[in-house]
Amino acid sequence: MAVLRLLIRRLFFALPILFGILLLTFLLVRLSGNDPAGVLAGPTATGEDVIRITKQLQLDKPVWQQFIAYVNTLAHGDLGRSWLSDKPVVRELLIRLPATLEMVIGGGILGALIAIPLGLRAALRVNGILDHSSRILSLIGFGAPTIFLGLLLIYVFFYLFGWAPPPMGRLDLLTTAPPTITGSYLIDALLTGNWEAARSAAARLVLPCVCVATVYAAPLIAQTRAVAMDVLASDYARYARACGLPPRDIRRMVWRNTAVPVITYGATELVALFGAAAVLELIFSWGGVSQFGLMAILKGDFAVVQGFTLLMSLIAMAIFAVADIVVMSLDPRARK
Amino acid sequence: MSLLEIDNLHVHFLSRDRLGEPRRARALNGVTFSLDRGEIIGLVGETGAGKSLTAQSVMGMLRPPAHRIAGTITFDGRDLATLPDAEMNAMRGSRIGMVVQSPMTSLDPTARIGAQLVRIQQAHGKIPRQQAEERAIAMLREVGIPDAPRRFAAWPHELSGGMAQRVLIAMALINDPVLLIADEPTTGLDVTVQAQILELLKREMTARGLATLLITHDLGIVAQYCDRVAAMFAGTIVEEGSVADVFAAPRHPYTARLIASAPDRVDLSSRAQFAGAPPDLTALPEGCVYRDRCPRAQSACAIPPPKADFGNGHAAFCHFPEPA
Repeated sequence: MAVLRLLIRRLFFALPILFGILLLTFLLVRLSGNDPAGVLAGPTATGEDVIRITKQLQLDKPVWQQFIAYVNTLAHGDLGRSWLSDKPVVRELLIRLPATLEMVIGGGILGALIAIPLGLRAALRVNGILDHSSRILSLIGFGAPTIFLGLLLIYVFFYLFGWAPPPMGRLDLLTTAPPTITGSYLIDALLTGNWEAARSAAARLVLPCVCVATVYAAPLIAQTRAVAMDVLASDYARYARACGLPPRDIRRMVWRNTAVPVITYGATELVALFGAAAVLELIFSWGGVSQFGLMAILKGDFAVVQGFTLLMSLIAMAIFAVADIVVMSLDPRARK
Repeated sequence: MSLLEIDNLHVHFLSRDRLGEPRRARALNGVTFSLDRGEIIGLVGETGAGKSLTAQSVMGMLRPPAHRIAGTITFDGRDLATLPDAEMNAMRGSRIGMVVQSPMTSLDPTARIGAQLVRIQQAHGKIPRQQAEERAIAMLREVGIPDAPRRFAAWPHELSGGMAQRVLIAMALINDPVLLIADEPTTGLDVTVQAQILELLKREMTARGLATLLITHDLGIVAQYCDRVAAMFAGTIVEEGSVADVFAAPRHPYTARLIASAPDRVDLSSRAQFAGAPPDLTALPEGCVYRDRCPRAQSACAIPPPKADFGNGHAAFCHFPEPA
């Protein structure tokens, strides 16, 4: 019941939020100082060409008229066409989304699987070996820029040791892609029993996912450790010990109570990963949607930028909704 | 032999200051008392006197930087201080029940009341789930929770402070302990609720013949509910005796002023500083710990005070006890 109420509430507020985001993005890209018509026309174009393109993109009209026209097409479920490729924005985005999801979700799961147990252990044994090693890992993830981390991993594991495949795309050159079901090469290959493609896709996923996992794990370890230490020092943990509960029961209690803030925080960080993914996708020639969005911003492909922002907002909303549902299942106080 | 005997218990907080110099706060300095079956002893004293620390020592729940330096705690003929962790843990919540001062925050917020009552039973013995549940509901009824079967499924955040304290009492009693430690069980509750909780505790203690260590700031509570009283100052029991004797004629200057300042009822927590600042545990005076604040202090007080025995278990640790 409470879940249903939450979803209805979220849906109700989603529209105004999306509208706000849309308006903001629309204004920001037009204030960015980019001259898309000039970029599109190319270096050899004449002044007339530029004027023609400006007219064609309706960039000569006042911004508010442009916005109304955009919202009007959007209301009909149309995100418009990419100014560069002239393909529908929706298609351009959706075709690249699975690659990003594969990398971010895969890395996110890996990062959470490392960070949460490590943070819990570190809190149980403060200043123990695990505590110190987790702090070092956390420091690396915090300190190293994503781009540096990515390049370092490529240098060591591809160039020096030759253990990792080349950082060029999601499949080996001679491997044929499996038929599209989910869009994730790994999952599609596994579903169709194409073991060779699955192996190739998995191998290509390792380094990017490790990068994502490191970036994700760093703050999550620190957060889990801090929350778990608070929980361990809480009145109810003290009282549980005074009741002589076995260590197993106490650990379970600590985990349940730690999970709630950690999941909320983890969801926020997961959303941020989609932004960090852009750089990694560039380095690994991943062809994901974050990379595509970044390039669109740089080239001034306004239609794609707007669509990309909208997509990311929807993803963020979905992640937050899932996180809230999980929290509700763990914490009775969230169900009120 | 008494049920609980604490003998010469010393607990120090060991730490280092910012320069790395070791710091030693002498929190308990030779605490000695005993408690018989069916007896209720009130432990009074100002904040920081070591009342709760004494309780924690009995529960085997001292955590660094607190360390037991010396002394024995004998419970039912066994020395708790040398008991292995697992055996001590088996003792907590079964043979020794505990009620604490913040009931609202002392229950696991992610588990239903009933589940917590079942959990503590299953932690201390093999008991079929259904039987444990029935016992839990019966226990909730016993501690005066209306509509017990429904409350069994309630979450801690749905309870009022008084209800939560009743649940804690149910938790403490459900495994039939022989010793109950109540650490300021009514602090933070409404006055009317306080009285109800204390009546409930008294009823249960009498009906079950429980030995009880009641820690409180409130002399009124001691006078009304306890058989014996022990007054603590700076980690030392300065006077103990039956409630009637001590309240009629306190012999230690500290106890005397404590009682004199409380015509009817005094909450020490709000007036902890009557006649002087709390003692600095890192630099306690030689000899009598109360020397610096004592109006009767003389040079002889620099040597540890002797036990002045007034008969009937009434004793004070003082060179110059007050006349009767």
